[in-house]
Amino acid sequence: MTITTLSDWTGQVGTVTLGAMKADGGTRSATVTIGGERDLSFIGTPPTGHRPLIAYELCDDPSLWPAPVTRFLGDRASDPAEWARWAGEEYTPDLIRLFLTSTRKRGFSDFASVTTTVENVLQATGLPLIIEGSNDSDLDSEVFRRIGEAGEGERFLIGTAEAGRYRSIAASAMAYGHLVIAQSPIDINLAKQLNILLREIGLPHDRIVIDPYTGALGYGFEYSYSVMERIRFAALKGDDDLAMPMISSAIDSLTVKEVREADPSVSDRISVAWELYAMLPATIAGASIVCVRHPSAIQPLRAGIDGLWSAPAGKGGA
Amino acid sequence: MALKALDIYKLLPKKNCKECGEPTCLTFAMKLASGKVKPEDCPYLDEKAKEVLGASTRPPVQRVKVGVGERSFAVGEEIVQFRHEKTFFHEPGIMTAVSDRMDADTIQGIVADVRDHILVRIGLDLRLNGIAIRSESGSPAAFAEAVEAVEAVTDLPEVLMAEDPAIQEAGLAVCGNYRPLIHVATRDRYREMCALAVKYGCPLAIRAPTLDTLAELSGLCTAEGASHLVLDLTSPSLHEMLNSAVAVRQHAITRTSPALGYPVFIDTRPSRLPDAALICGVLKFGSILVADAVSEESRKAFLVLRQNIYTDPQKPIQITPGIYRVGSPGPDAPVLLTVNFSLTYFTLQGYLESSGVDSFMLIVDTEGLSVLTAVAAGKLSETLVRDALKEFGVPDLVDHRKLIIPGYAAPLSGRVEDETGWKVLVGPRDAADIAEFLEKEWT
Ligand code: B12
Ligand code: SF4
Repeated sequence: MTITTLSDWTGQVGTVTLGAMKADGGTRSATVTIGGERDLSFIGTPPTGHRPLIAYELCDDPSLWPAPVTRFLGDRASDPAEWARWAGEEYTPDLIRLFLTSTRKRGFSDFASVTTTVENVLQATGLPLIIEGSNDSDLDSEVFRRIGEAGEGERFLIGTAEAGRYRSIAASAMAYGHLVIAQSPIDINLAKQLNILLREIGLPHDRIVIDPYTGALGYGFEYSYSVMERIRFAALKGDDDLAMPMISSAIDSLTVKEVREADPSVSDRISVAWELYAMLPATIAGASIVCVRHPSAIQPLRAGIDGLWSAPAGKGGA
Repeated sequence: MALKALDIYKLLPKKNCKECGEPTCLTFAMKLASGKVKPEDCPYLDEKAKEVLGASTRPPVQRVKVGVGERSFAVGEEIVQFRHEKTFFHEPGIMTAVSDRMDADTIQGIVADVRDHILVRIGLDLRLNGIAIRSESGSPAAFAEAVEAVEAVTDLPEVLMAEDPAIQEAGLAVCGNYRPLIHVATRDRYREMCALAVKYGCPLAIRAPTLDTLAELSGLCTAEGASHLVLDLTSPSLHEMLNSAVAVRQHAITRTSPALGYPVFIDTRPSRLPDAALICGVLKFGSILVADAVSEESRKAFLVLRQNIYTDPQKPIQITPGIYRVGSPGPDAPVLLTVNFSLTYFTLQGYLESSGVDSFMLIVDTEGLSVLTAVAAGKLSETLVRDALKEFGVPDLVDHRKLIIPGYAAPLSGRVEDETGWKVLVGPRDAADIAEFLEKEWT
């Protein structure tokens, strides 16, 4: 007898490919594929499916960005293209996630700037992109159309669709060949319902990534952790409407009390700790893409994921 | 998993005599399956049934206690693989490591920090749990001295990390009566280590190169009388650590390898990724985690992660609804409404305290939901507020009729005014802004 992990799963997480290179009509220097697991995360030697990826988050209006990050970045934060280039080269995340925070100002109407920003970021980095558009349903159709058009053929992952507002996002994704983030508030049934709605308006499952909503460490993280485990569970048991890979971003991490009120001299270290201690657990719970905002969090997160993914060569034993 | 109700039913006498207090044998079987009754409650079980049911209702992961006194802790007794299936019961103990190569002052500095450092969060004290003493000098005398240095300043639980029985015994001679965890018995020296564990009545960590040989060693050790075991799954590879910990938990709770039904021990050092190893240990079934001193920031994050994962997913940590005082509020003091989710209460209370304004907090029962969640779920309503004002006698405490509500509850403000007759002031969304708000709006 050899004692190993037990698994009697019948289902599989679907795969999703982000980004497109020249041959496929895009300009990315690489594409990435997520999903495909037939067991729990990191289980099996080698593990099933694809290794979890790290997305680095940035934005086009840093006044809405957490202070520990803007302090660390200085002037770089004022130009999203330069920010993306620099982060991509210096910290080597797998993906860049751009938040168009400029659209979150009251009375926003400079839609042309959306196109320009997206085009500039596309030029500045060869990494596949995740783009977050407006937060306001009145702006949605124009903002998402602009994003879709500016990146036609690039296979962006765009977000964020929710139960009440998903049509403009899905329409843009279908018209210009992109993928969609489907977010629901920490609830497996709501996640499933939204995926069904998206399927019914014609968005195929291999173009959806589930965002189960991630509370920050100490502020609801445990609920998010468990809902991710349950979604993975459902996928492995064969529920196709929950079998998409997941993205996790504890977007409030750097504004929680512990981080916000930390002395500036330790602000970088506490930021990294708060992001690492939520995002590495998220990969273990089943997330395929995890997101951070402090660039220094990327390296330790990567080391953790790599360590969990594979045994060092030539080493055996319990 | 434990036996299913129907399997249990097959073993029962099927007399339906009700002597167990249940209407039928089947109901008794169902309650037994979910652990609500004990096999002994039925007087008519035959020997075989007793044996099978007894074994299958014993916790699949054995309870193991480390240390004595106030800071001692127990691990084990877990029954599920995923926290959403029920809950995790005993949070892992984290043991900060010192070495017998360090001088006594260095050791005592580290020990004092572990002993005294407390992170208070949502009204609970979060702390590291104990000290692991590594034998690195190879000398029994040096090891004993290091243990003495620890003992001189604390009664924290200890792990004695010495593979050589002679060195181990030197340490036990100093602190053996305080139930340290003996680390570690391997196949070649398990007899001597078991003898020490029996002699001092201590729990014993065991290690073997594969899970099969580990299960075998566990059988050998229990046969020697060492029955409080801990399985050392330390590996330089996080991947292996995670996979073996998951396998051990699965085999323990399905009872396919009862010899693996013990808590798990992990030393985070060999991985060279202490943060990642701690995270992995907390999430995936570590019960005793050894770490060399971690940074202040990692410690905070680690303690909060552990608190999160070991919170019962079925019931948020709550406080009793009622009227609470900050400072010594008089009849002109402000009344602030909030929910009975502990995190919310303690967050608001902290900011109120630092504002220096004496005030009343009116805590209403939202079943432990946060403000925003309660509003979204419709659990925070004007009638709830009206009844709470009355029930807790607020009109007699203050001579004004003004109620400050959370910024996120703004949509309710009109309805609360109508229902209570009190004037509603909508406060800030973030409790951090409460001092500024009170200064401006409350004169
Ligand atoms: C964890 C969580 C849950 C947990 C519950 C946790 C709990 N015990 O409440 C679970 C998973 C069960 C849950 C469920 C739901 N959730 Co929820 N949840 C969260 C999450 C991630 C964190 C909540 C939290 O712990 N906050 C921390 C506490 C301290 O915040 P707070 O109570 O609001 O207190 C702050 C302020 O209000 C203020 N304050 C508090 N009291 C007072 C008093 C005064 C006088 C003042 C001035 C200020 C003040 O100070 C505090 C600190 O700043 C939030 C996201 C978020 N960022 O808030 C979503 C969130 C609140 N949930 C949401 C939703 C929609 C739901 C559901 C309705 C979804 C569903 N399943 O149908 C359910 C409803 C519950 C139900 N039907 O049972 C939405 C709400 C959307 C909206 N804006 O209305 C959110 C914002 C997530 C999202 N963006 O989609 N949720
Ligand atoms: S006491 Fe035993 S035999 Fe009688 S009803 Fe209960 S389970 Fe059945």
